[in-house]
Amino acid sequence: MPTASTSFFGWVAFLLQKYGMLFLRGTGMTLLVALTGTAFGFIIGLLVAIVRATSPVPTLARKSFAAAVRCALLKAIQLLLAAYIQVFRGTPMIVQAVVIYYGAQYAGVYMDTTFAAIFIISINTGAYMAEIIRGGIFSVDKGQFEAAHAIGMTHWQTMTTVVLPQAIRNILPSVGNELIVNIKDSSVLNVISVSELFFQAKSAAGAYYRYFEVYFIIAVIYLILTLTVSRILRFIELKMDGPDNYVIHGSQSDSRAEIVVSRENAEEVEKRWNQ
Amino acid sequence: MEPVIQVRGLHKAFGTHEVLKGIDFAAGKGEVVCIIGSSGSGKSTLLRCINLLETPDGGAILYHGKDILTDATINMPQYHAKVGMVFQQFNLFGNMTVLENCMTGQMKVLGRSREESMENAMKYLRKVGMEAYVSAKPRQLSGGQKQRVAIARSLAMDPEVILFDEPTSALDPEMVGEVLSVMQKLAQEGLTMLVVTHEMGFARAVADKVVFMDQGVIAEEGAPEEVLGSPKHERLQSFLRSML
Repeated sequence: MPTASTSFFGWVAFLLQKYGMLFLRGTGMTLLVALTGTAFGFIIGLLVAIVRATSPVPTLARKSFAAAVRCALLKAIQLLLAAYIQVFRGTPMIVQAVVIYYGAQYAGVYMDTTFAAIFIISINTGAYMAEIIRGGIFSVDKGQFEAAHAIGMTHWQTMTTVVLPQAIRNILPSVGNELIVNIKDSSVLNVISVSELFFQAKSAAGAYYRYFEVYFIIAVIYLILTLTVSRILRFIELKMDGPDNYVIHGSQSDSRAEIVVSRENAEEVEKRWNQ
Repeated sequence: MEPVIQVRGLHKAFGTHEVLKGIDFAAGKGEVVCIIGSSGSGKSTLLRCINLLETPDGGAILYHGKDILTDATINMPQYHAKVGMVFQQFNLFGNMTVLENCMTGQMKVLGRSREESMENAMKYLRKVGMEAYVSAKPRQLSGGQKQRVAIARSLAMDPEVILFDEPTSALDPEMVGEVLSVMQKLAQEGLTMLVVTHEMGFARAVADKVVFMDQGVIAEEGAPEEVLGSPKHERLQSFLRSML
């Protein structure tokens, strides 16, 4: 047991020894709700963005009653989705957490706190992701939509094979931001007693009234988490970009066979190839 | 000869601006029709209407005698596969390699197997001289190379007609030739082609028919030597002078 004269580092060592497991469990919970919440939020955002990017005017000139009904239905759904985005981007997550958690109890639904945490992060992130992904879809130049339609692909095929792969690559930095925000902002869920890192720190700090030491420890843990995640995301981005080089394939009797073209030697290889 | 594509009284307006004011023309099997005219005359809009990238406001577009705007027996993806399009800006799929660009439509739209699609894609990439670049991404290619891949992508769908929308206008001058020579080869092989172009030399050498569009109507049409050699319309005369 440290005494009044124990140094800062002494307290940190003591608290780590005593509450190490607690911090670790809190870190695990934080990662769990942030990662799954971001993943589900991404899926929600993807679906919402695809529906919002669908043109309500049928591309075919053929007009029919069924097409008109589909049109009206799509417009109604798009309106609802716009409202969803506005509401969840326009209110703080800490308020959403309390309203949803206790609101559900009003309706007789007593949610498990972990489930509630993932649910709240998911729909909150979904609202942001929908806008991020919509931006990503518009970042793919319109000509590629037209080219895909011109070879007969449907809207869905165009989206899944041509547009979304490029849109997702383009928005990966923003998705990474969302994940990092969620790792940090899941701390607000302590208001509904989710046992994430901040919540655990609160109980540890209260036991010996060592607020600075405890919050210093979890600040370092948050920093390690977010730095690691940014590194991993950067790696994924580079992987998705593929190699900068490509191989020119020739026949076996051709001395120019299998030349690797990179940015540096591209022109020279072209000249040789065209000779 | 029954025309493959026939356009009757085609109208299209963007807001209050009338771009097409009643277009009538036809292209027979194996025919190469070059559409010329100054910018804003409605050439590109005409091609985009035939491909339904724009919805016409009135008139009919007949494909083998069936109106694609009203005839419910026409399967739209199949129609698109049969009527290909090559764009000014190439519009290759940026997330795919050259080979994948030429395969994806065959697999998704025509339901061909991966092997068959690859074989067919390679056949046409060889035809346009891009077989060596199968593993390159579009961003790694020059403009002329991109356009040749775009032509191969169109051909891989085994179309009956290809619409070319100013295929060389976005290219550096030294790359125009490689694209035009591929197109000339296709014309000789009997592909039906509608070509919006500013390349008068190409029109003169390759076209069976030249159509001059002016302010939303066809002002003059006929054999290239007539239309380009002895133009009757005054606007066509000044247009041709400006092209020199």
